[in-house]
Amino acid sequence: MGANETPPFPPRRPAASLLRHWQTILVAAYALAAFSWTMPAWLCPPKAIVDRVSGPALRFFGLWQSWDMFSPDPRRDDIRVEVRFVSHDGGSHRLMLTAMNGMSYGERVQKERWRKFFNDHLRLDDESHLWQPFAEFMVRALRAEGQDPASIELVRWWRAAEPRVSPALRPDVRDAPWSSYTFHRWQVPPEFGR
Amino acid sequence: MSRAARMLVRAVGGFDRWVRDPVDPRPLGWFRCWIGVLSLVNLLLLWPDMPMWLGDDGVLPPGVHRPPLAGPAATVYAIASGTAAIWLIRALGIAGGLGLCLGVFPRIAAACTWLAVTSFSWRNPSILHSGDSLFRIAAFFLIFARTDDVLSLPRWLRRVFRPRGEDPRVELPLVPAWPQRILQLQLCVLYLVTGIWKSTGPTWRDGSAVGIVLQMGEFERFPIPDFLVTPGMSQVMTYATLLFELGFPLLVWIPRLRVPVLVFGLAFHAGLEWILNVQLFQWTITAFYLLFLQPRSPHAPREGDRMPASGAGVARRRG
Repeated sequence: MGANETPPFPPRRPAASLLRHWQTILVAAYALAAFSWTMPAWLCPPKAIVDRVSGPALRFFGLWQSWDMFSPDPRRDDIRVEVRFVSHDGGSHRLMLTAMNGMSYGERVQKERWRKFFNDHLRLDDESHLWQPFAEFMVRALRAEGQDPASIELVRWWRAAEPRVSPALRPDVRDAPWSSYTFHRWQVPPEFGR
Repeated sequence: MSRAARMLVRAVGGFDRWVRDPVDPRPLGWFRCWIGVLSLVNLLLLWPDMPMWLGDDGVLPPGVHRPPLAGPAATVYAIASGTAAIWLIRALGIAGGLGLCLGVFPRIAAACTWLAVTSFSWRNPSILHSGDSLFRIAAFFLIFARTDDVLSLPRWLRRVFRPRGEDPRVELPLVPAWPQRILQLQLCVLYLVTGIWKSTGPTWRDGSAVGIVLQMGEFERFPIPDFLVTPGMSQVMTYATLLFELGFPLLVWIPRLRVPVLVFGLAFHAGLEWILNVQLFQWTITAFYLLFLQPRSPHAPREGDRMPASGAGVARRRG
């Protein structure tokens, strides 16, 4: 090509080329962001940098996620959460909230979020900020049903899974003792909610 | 250019074509419809407990509420609160679910579903299951997917009430692939990450993890046959889970293995659905399998068919 000839096509600018491939860049970036977001930090060294860049967008658009169920190991305790209350007439009452395998099949499907909230969150000492609001909610709910609670207790129950695997340990036939601990008590003030 | 560099360039070029070449709209359309059905079921299961989980007088009053993550988020709570927000979530969920099922304004419907699920997820993150994350992600990317011509009530009505003499067969135009590609990769990331997480746990490595889960009454759904609750079967199921989750992201892309992998995955999740009471997750994750189907029929559009004018700038023909 001589000095005074023009090239047949104008040279492409990198920015325009990138724009032309925006779908490819978006797909690759999203896959990387989702992978980094959900990986443990010690297995994904660039996690801190990638999450810092992609985190705000994942958060804003509701794309945050975690895929660590039963990981790295399944929980070893079978859990239940119970509410106990004493009425002003002196009667004591117990409500087992998450005896999941005592429920009908339909009920245990519908109440799966109960298991999630009570067994995975409410019972934990780390989430003690949930205890008093839940106790207050229960008092309101019990009053709406015609009860008159004077005090309320939240109790967690647990029994450890055994290291061996055997048909005798199936949850519906297993006969192992449960332990319990009352993790929150509240004497309901007479003026509460009135 | 070195051999490695040439291979890299070729791989990047292949990925670029895979993302940008237009695709048959039917897998995305089937996926949209089934996600719509499942999102309605999800909403109906949540419906009676919404005041308890999301209300100002519920278990998580506004003063105690901690968002799942710091920073701004797109939710209905920016414009409403309390009972009004609950009803807004219900209305958006119903409109979105029906729209997705019936193909009525599917992109707007996807936006409604996405906003509804994102809102209740933000308001009470302690009640979420993994299926909720999949609903949020699926609905978000369906906002950008063109599925109007597949399983669509308006299209069906147009066919039924077409003028006399008009040919009822309508060619399905190819559509941009990137929403489908991103959702396919999302499923692969899910399996890969959960497989990596599990493979670091001692009980997954010694084969006892599934045996432990089977002892948990809180997860039990239907009765578990005795032959499954043995040390040998626990090892088989534990290692099969690991192999499947780590293998899926690779094997599903091999054309000859795709159908067997998907069939195995369906059986795997059906087994989990029988054993574990995890609300809707198995249904939602297997909905993503629809995106891997490659339909063939006389009326199917072919790769390389011309895109409609409105999509020409978005997806390109295979060169």
